[in-house]
Amino acid sequence: MIPVCKEIRKEILKISNASGHGHIPTCFSIVEIMYAVYSNMKHYPKNPLWEERDVFLLSKGHAALGHYCTLAKLGYFDIKRVYSFGSFMSDFGCHADRFKVPGIEASTGSLGHGIGLAVGMALAFKLKKTDRRVFVVIGDGESNEGTIWEAVMVATNVGLDNLTIIYDNNMSHGRGLQIRNPAERFRAFSCEVVEVDGHDIDALGPEIAKRGNKVRVVVANTVKGYGCKTFVQDQYAWHRRSPNDSELEMLLRELDEETI
Amino acid sequence: MRKQFKKTIMDLSLHDERIVMILGDVSVYLFKDFNDKYPNRLFNMGICENTLISVVAGLSSQGLVPFVHTIAPFVTERSFEQIKLDMCYNKFGGNIVSCGASFDYAWDGATHHCYTDLAILRLLPGIEVIQPGSYKELDVLLRSQYDNGNTTYFRLSDHPHEIDLPVQFGKGAVIKDIGAEITVMTAGPLLGNVLEACRDLPVNLIYFHTIKPIDRELVARYSRTKILVIHDAFGLYEAICEVPNLRVSYHGLSDEFCGWYGAVHDIRRKLGLDPKSLKEFIKNTIEKTGS
Repeated sequence: MIPVCKEIRKEILKISNASGHGHIPTCFSIVEIMYAVYSNMKHYPKNPLWEERDVFLLSKGHAALGHYCTLAKLGYFDIKRVYSFGSFMSDFGCHADRFKVPGIEASTGSLGHGIGLAVGMALAFKLKKTDRRVFVVIGDGESNEGTIWEAVMVATNVGLDNLTIIYDNNMSHGRGLQIRNPAERFRAFSCEVVEVDGHDIDALGPEIAKRGNKVRVVVANTVKGYGCKTFVQDQYAWHRRSPNDSELEMLLRELDEETI
Repeated sequence: MRKQFKKTIMDLSLHDERIVMILGDVSVYLFKDFNDKYPNRLFNMGICENTLISVVAGLSSQGLVPFVHTIAPFVTERSFEQIKLDMCYNKFGGNIVSCGASFDYAWDGATHHCYTDLAILRLLPGIEVIQPGSYKELDVLLRSQYDNGNTTYFRLSDHPHEIDLPVQFGKGAVIKDIGAEITVMTAGPLLGNVLEACRDLPVNLIYFHTIKPIDRELVARYSRTKILVIHDAFGLYEAICEVPNLRVSYHGLSDEFCGWYGAVHDIRRKLGLDPKSLKEFIKNTIEKTGS
């Protein structure tokens, strides 16, 4: 685990502890993904509305805390502000509000919406003849939603080579409606698909940076709760909860020791 | 009314390159000349209404002015959450233009009837809900509202009325004011039937094409009268009831699915919304009221 991703995870843990709000394991599965996307897209933290920027959307919006901590690390705002997470009058809700948080391009939360927005944005960039790109992270559990596959069909049909979908394959789908062969399915929908270790920055970066001539899908094989064995071993219990003080201490220790 | 829609869009597009048409496999032939002229500004994206709405929101987010057009129940009832979140909550405004609402597709049965669209959409913060009743109303309201950044719903009809009225967004029209104790209020294409029924009866008649925002000032002006809302959908009655201290009742749909086929006039007759039935109903209301 690279140091910056460990630091982002530590902030997620501390803010979850301080706020009483969670969804930590789903945040932990996409830390490297988000860091790799921002490291390879055009963006300017000091001017989040820079007109030439690429767009990143978190379609699995319940990982907002992970997104906030990543944006803070990149310089969009001070991490101290995020410690109000989920509280009354906070700018940092458990699902992000685009009018309150710099760097948030769309308010997401209801699953299966962000990818459709991403398709519309990517189409707009094509119509405006700009080379701006759109990156969207979708969850494997989220991909139970039919709108995911509608959006992919539309994207391939109109030829959005400026759209990259990162599929967070953290095995959430295993709880219910299973998608055992995501790469094969995206290929069947005419996407250009690669499969990588979603926690290996060196593998993720080049695949995210690439732009082919089709809708690009990066199937990122991840571990829900990556970094702490407690999360990985007991995913159901930790899906939404936050750690108390002693649990925080234990989880920070696990993270330092990279127990998984 | 779809032809008028296309005509107005063609005209607006001459001077507005931001307009993008998204079709849900409906009116594709109608828009052929638009597509011929602007091949990069029209997409028949197929039968995936939820995604059509999300795509429209995404287009809007980048400064384009999108229109999505398809059949009423599918683009409104099915796609309600996309309209609520992707368009309204995110303030990625655009234009939703439906066809076939109420019983325009009577022959297709209850799966294709749509009478809750106005009622559910008007509940969403920031949305504009319009039921144009005539070609002129559609043309004027489309021009005035299409580019204001809001989400605007236009409910087209294949059976417009032919009554020429002054048109201004958010403003109702007084068709008849004789100082009567009963005021009939209606909206959209049904005005033809309602006007015919009311013509010789001692009632006032008020008309709306804008359901949201409802013209509260005009409604309030008749608050001392008994208000009778006649409409072939839900939504107008509820909008009128925003105005406090009214004596208001509704005549139109009942709490059951419409299980009949045929043409729109067959359904209207079955529901008591044809001119003859309406006249009888209003006369009875007058007698009961004692005016």
